[in-house]
Formats: sequence, C-alpha cells, structure tokens
Amino acid sequence: MSLAQVLFYVMAFVVVGSALFVASTKNLVRSIFMFFITLFALAGLYVLALADFIAITQIVIYVGGILVLILFAFMLSGKETLNVLQQQKSKFISLSKLPAILLAVLFFVVMVNVITKIDAGNIGWIKQAISTNTEIKPNEEMINNIGINLMTRYLLPFEAISILLMMALVGAAHLSRKERGAV
Amino acid sequence: MSFYITYVLVSIGLFAFSALFALFAVYGERKVSAFIQDRLGPTETGKFGLLQTLADILKLLQKEMIIPTAADKILFMMAPAIIFIAVYMGFAALPWAPGLIPSKINLGLYYIFAIISIETLGILMAGWGSNNKYSILGAMRSAAQIISYEIPAGFALISVVMIAQTLNLQDIAIQQGTLSAEKIKFLGFWDITKIGGILSWNIFRAPHLIIAFVIYFIASLAESNRAPFDIPEAESELVSGFHTEFTGLRFGLVFLAEYSMMFLVSMVGVILFLGAWNTPLPNIGAIHLADWTTSKVWGIFWIATKTLTLVGIQMWIRWTIPRLRVDQLMNLCWKVLTPLAFVCMLVSGIWRIWLM
Repeated sequence: MSLAQVLFYVMAFVVVGSALFVASTKNLVRSIFMFFITLFALAGLYVLALADFIAITQIVIYVGGILVLILFAFMLSGKETLNVLQQQKSKFISLSKLPAILLAVLFFVVMVNVITKIDAGNIGWIKQAISTNTEIKPNEEMINNIGINLMTRYLLPFEAISILLMMALVGAAHLSRKERGAV
Repeated sequence: MSFYITYVLVSIGLFAFSALFALFAVYGERKVSAFIQDRLGPTETGKFGLLQTLADILKLLQKEMIIPTAADKILFMMAPAIIFIAVYMGFAALPWAPGLIPSKINLGLYYIFAIISIETLGILMAGWGSNNKYSILGAMRSAAQIISYEIPAGFALISVVMIAQTLNLQDIAIQQGTLSAEKIKFLGFWDITKIGGILSWNIFRAPHLIIAFVIYFIASLAESNRAPFDIPEAESELVSGFHTEFTGLRFGLVFLAEYSMMFLVSMVGVILFLGAWNTPLPNIGAIHLADWTTSKVWGIFWIATKTLTLVGIQMWIRWTIPRLRVDQLMNLCWKVLTPLAFVCMLVSGIWRIWLM
C-alpha cells in the first residue's frame, strides 16, 4: 500500500469512529468536541482528494464558525435543560426515535444506491473532459479556476446564495434589536 | 524517502524556534514592562537576569500536573495541546527568505487564517473542561472576541490579496521587492521596480493599505488575547481566565501558544504589509543597496527584525493602554473597524483596476 492509501484508511477510520462516538455518547460536550475531530479528519480526506480549497473552507466554516456557535449556544443554555437531555431513557427502539431512524435508513438506502450505481472508473463528464483536454491537473493553480468559474459560469447561484445570506443577516438583526420605546 | 526526513527536521526546527522565541520573549516582556513602569525587572539569575525564564521553565517542568476532581479529564488534558498545535501548524506556510519556505502552497494565507481559528475551540475546551466559573467565563469572552475580530482582520487581508492577486505568501513576498516579475508603482504613479527598498512595500504601493495594516494589527492583538483586549484573562475579574486551573507543563504549553501566536500574527502582518523578507534599503543610482541586501541570510535577518519590532510594539501597547470593557470592545470591532475594512476592500478594487 502506498502512503496515500495508508493515510486514507487511517483518516476514514477516524471519521467513522468519531462520528459513531458523536452519535452514541451521552455526554453532549464531548460529542461536540468529537464532532470537531470528525470534521478535521474529513478535511484531511479532502486534501487527499486534491481538493485543498474545500478542505480549508471546511475548517474555516465548520470548525471556526459552526462548531464554535454550537458550543456557544450550549454553554449559554442552563444546566437543567441539559440534564433533562442527558437523562433520557436508553431504550434502543422507541417512538420518539422514529423520525431519526427513518431519516437514517432512507439516507443509507440512497448511499448504497449511489455506491452500487456509480461506475467510478469511467464517469461521463470526466471522460469528456479528458477527451477535449480541458481537465485540470492536480499541480495546476486550482483557486484561480474556482474564482473564475464562480464569477462567470456560476454567477447566478453565487448571487442567489449571497442574497439568501443577506436575508438571514437582516432577519437576525431584526430579531435581536430593541423594540422602539423599550429602554 | 529523504524528503520525509527534511519534513521532520523542518517541523522540529520550527518547534525549537517557537520554544526559544517564547523563552526570550517572556524575558523581553518582563524587561520592557519593567522599563515602562520604572522598575528593574529580573536581575538576579544570570547576567542581567537572562537565565530567569530558563529557570522558570525548569521550575514549571518539575511541578505536579494537577487535574481538578470536578474537571472533565479528557478535555482538560487535551486543551493545551490543541491550543498550541493550532498555532504551531500556522508556521508551516510562512516564508522566511527568497526560496525558503516550509510549505509552498498556493492557499498559504487562507490556510493560516483557517488554522488559527482552531485555537478558539481549544480555548473553549479548556474553559469547559476546567469546570470552573472563571474559566468558562474567560473562554466565552475569548471565543466571542476572536470570532468578532476575525471579520475586520479578514477584510483587511482580503484588501491586500486584491492588490497582490494571489494567496501564496511567497508570491506576495516576492512582489514587494526588486525580485518582482511585475511592475511595481510607488503610490500608483512612480515605477520603482528597479529601485525597490521600503518604497515597494505593500503599504506604499497602495497607501490605503496603511489603514488596512492598522486594522489588521488591532485585530491581531485581539486574536492573540493581548492587552488591551485581554478580557478573557482579566486578572482583576477572572483570576486568569481560561487557564486558571492549569499547572506545570500544561500551563507552559498555554503560555508557549500565546507567545507563538504573537510571533505568527506579527509575521503575517510583516509579510502582507511591510515587505516580507525584502530589504528596506532602496537602490540609489549606482549604489545598489537593495540588490546587495537581498539574499537568503539577509531575508531571514530582515523578516526577523521586522517581526520582532512588531512584537515589541505589541508589548509596548500591552503595558501602556488600559483594558477595554466588553461593550467598548464590540463597539470598536463592529462600528469602527469592520466598516473601515470594507472601505479598504472597495478602494483596493478601484486601485487595482485603475492605478496598477
């Protein structure tokens, strides 16, 4: 096995193991910190797949942003609420878990379907890119390509997302401001 | 296989450097603070007290590592390591001299920006793991502060990237001196590609970057939890914030991380705004000062000098300016620095299109 393969298996193992721990542990804080390990190892997998920009973005957004916000919300909530959450009955199958189980099973079916249907050796658009000599090699500058594509080919989705984020910002500002007249 | 050995050697070298730097920076900080407060500082151990921090480290290493009974043991033990590793990994992408960089990646700046944000998580881990109200208050304050100040810092960095047109730190460095392949214009009108020196630094290529530099510098003080932004460890209110419960080697690691972070943010500032490893001396007529003082050795000398100057200014500020209150801190960030940083970004775009 080459070094890249060893690294892939190590990181895949870390991702799956820590994700299982996140889902199964009763200690909420530890599960959040374990989630950090999952996300970080996932970033490592992205690097192995030559998607270094996505790997770094993963760290900026998930680790630096979302995870810290989750922790913030967690630490600001009272201890009583958290105790109720932590002392749930540990029956494996119960009605309250039905939506989660349904979602997980459906997602599993989709994933199995994708893995069996896909023919990773010869995917259409990759073959087409190779035949027209427009494929991007790993040693080329990838961010320039991403930037140009974002500003030309994918401009409309890009702008739509920015408007969505803008709406979220305005909404947050509206929710958190003081009422008129209130001191 | 030989390049693996090089990797290991380089990383050990960087670790040794950050440890050595922390050792002497603590001594320097104590001497600077003593000078500012009209005291003498350490004088007893060694000549001029030079061995004082070495003795302190020896003492720290021998101390018992206490874990509080109520603490979450795993989080408590891992936190200092994560805090330090986050900062230490940032050093991987910093250029030291022409052709001398541990890892030449084309996403260098973005990588550093990302990896530094992990430190917040380590601090929150330390605060929660200690199970102590002072620690958790300190950790929350620190996280709030770092997240807020990442925004003006990020936009100040973006305004440089828009001028430089690359995220590769080595390329940004090369652009600011006589080795540059593209044309450099002083203030947008005077071609000084052959002259170089202080005139070709980014802050003089586009003068609005001086404002961006000040914004970045203030934000970097906040990101490394230094005074006047040290409310996370405000001694008078929170004992010492998130690292109240740490003893021995773990406390040493937290300290090491703080000083490495000071060096890291200063060095990023130097690379982006103050000419990186380029010499401040210009070529004047037949006297080619800039060409004579541009090489690997000179590069390390210049970048170390500039970075240590910035670190010195950080210390000077710490012992001069009083601590900001939480609301003043947030006002400064959101109402002053963030809009200014946006303006800088806008001017950068205009500058790049019409004046460069």
